[in-house]
Amino acid sequence: MRGFGEIAERLRRSTVEVRIPGERGGGSGVVWNAGGLIVTNAHVARASDTEVDLWDGRRIPGRVVSRDARRDLALLNITASNLEPATPGDSAALRPGELVMAVGSPLGFAGALSRGAVHSIGPIDGMGTRPWIRAGVRLAPGNSGGPLANARGEVIGINTAIVNGLGVAIPSNRAVDFVERGPLPSLGVALRPVRLGLLLLDVDSAGAAANASLKPGDTLLLSLDELNGALDSGGEVLRLRFLRESKIRETYVQLARRRAEAA
Amino acid sequence: MANELATLSQELAAAVANAGKSVVAVHARPRFSSSGTFWRPGVIVTAEHTIRREEEITVTLPDGAKAPATLVGSDPGTDIAVLRVEQEGVPVGQAAAQPAPGNLALAIGRSHDSGVNATWGIVSAVSGPWRTWRGGRLDAYIRLDLTLYPGSSGGLVINTDGAPLGIATSALSRIAGLAIPAATIDRVVDEILARGHVARGYLGLGLQPVELPDHQKGLIVLSVEREGPAAKAGVLIGDILLALGGRSTADTDDVQAALESHGVAKNVEATVLRGGASQKITVTIGERPRRS
Repeated sequence: MRGFGEIAERLRRSTVEVRIPGERGGGSGVVWNAGGLIVTNAHVARASDTEVDLWDGRRIPGRVVSRDARRDLALLNITASNLEPATPGDSAALRPGELVMAVGSPLGFAGALSRGAVHSIGPIDGMGTRPWIRAGVRLAPGNSGGPLANARGEVIGINTAIVNGLGVAIPSNRAVDFVERGPLPSLGVALRPVRLGLLLLDVDSAGAAANASLKPGDTLLLSLDELNGALDSGGEVLRLRFLRESKIRETYVQLARRRAEAA
Repeated sequence: MANELATLSQELAAAVANAGKSVVAVHARPRFSSSGTFWRPGVIVTAEHTIRREEEITVTLPDGAKAPATLVGSDPGTDIAVLRVEQEGVPVGQAAAQPAPGNLALAIGRSHDSGVNATWGIVSAVSGPWRTWRGGRLDAYIRLDLTLYPGSSGGLVINTDGAPLGIATSALSRIAGLAIPAATIDRVVDEILARGHVARGYLGLGLQPVELPDHQKGLIVLSVEREGPAAKAGVLIGDILLALGGRSTADTDDVQAALESHGVAKNVEATVLRGGASQKITVTIGERPRRS
């Protein structure tokens, strides 16, 4: 019988540890293809240059090639031979009760395995309207960015957070979309929900919001879920009402075009 | 890449999907919802400790619709509450035979936004009838080695065949989740549907275990409730209760057991030691006043 151990061993070879040089702590990542693409969490790949430890002990520099902060996903590129990529599964077919296992480097213990069952699939209060996979697997800081796999060893999620003791993973289909079509459009801002809407704390000078002349201190008059919904709707122009110096104003934000759906 | 683990995984998911047809989300407390189970047509059983209000209770049905529910009654002792809804629902099937330690088990719950949920583990201990710290009696003690996350209590515990073992609760043991056995639920639901609550026998005595000179044990009467069942029968402060209904009483648990086997409004014979002499007093068991 192919048990947890055998499946976990294959998964372990497709799992890497991701660290930012000079910083304590790290996360995990999934070897996505033999060409050296690694999928991890955006909150793990916080800097543009990372260090990637492979299962066999090799340490290789990893360059961030794409990042989607809203989906908490990042793509790294490493140059290495003999990589053993993971096999993505279909997260849309996943059901509560299915057996799953997580591999990663919780608290720095590389290759640690935890197992459990899928708890539920759906949105989480305060974490947007998109579905997440919740799984009864024991995770710790350091599992972030690592694979959650089904009983066939297919990666069906990217472990991302722990909520009420449950492991929370990004469904693999969302990661596939990110790898194939790039990040979702974003405003390029740091913001904080306030009573009236969303207060802009920082505006990336190269981002869509800056191009639409939004500035730090402006308050967008909509909720975070409404903003995310509008950004995800597929439209290329976003009309935004905002408050500046006690006056309601309006601007049009031109969003980045996404790559076409892969055939 | 078929393998036995994948087959088991699919069987577990199928059991969850099937059992989930009987499981609802219960909205009767702030923040977290809990789960509930259609035990009979239109009758939902949930964990009493998750019911924090008696009105404006709603449930999320398996089809995602919200429906109002009325609280028929509850029994804190066994952590069972009974709700009634207009919808018949899909009641659970025939309960499983008593599980053995090591059997795989799944606890099925539901939340409004994520639908059905499941946790997986094993039955870690099983024993005979067990009294809860809340005073109720479970027909069996079924301890679960699986994590009950917030909102799981009141959900259905099944084995891998999908047969119900009982209802999940995190409130009856500090160290583990328990399954309230199906037999207990059947009994308590019957009583709640008939009376709105579970009547518990009552003597109206304050008792303290004492050791007698002959090393026999008894319970000394420290207080007698005025007009209570024991007072009416003539029990006095200072009497030492030696037996109740033919069962010797070394501990207050023995009194509970004797009251349970007789029932409210039945007569029971008490053997007391008064002034060095043993005598028999017939007490008509009263009903324990309920918390208001």
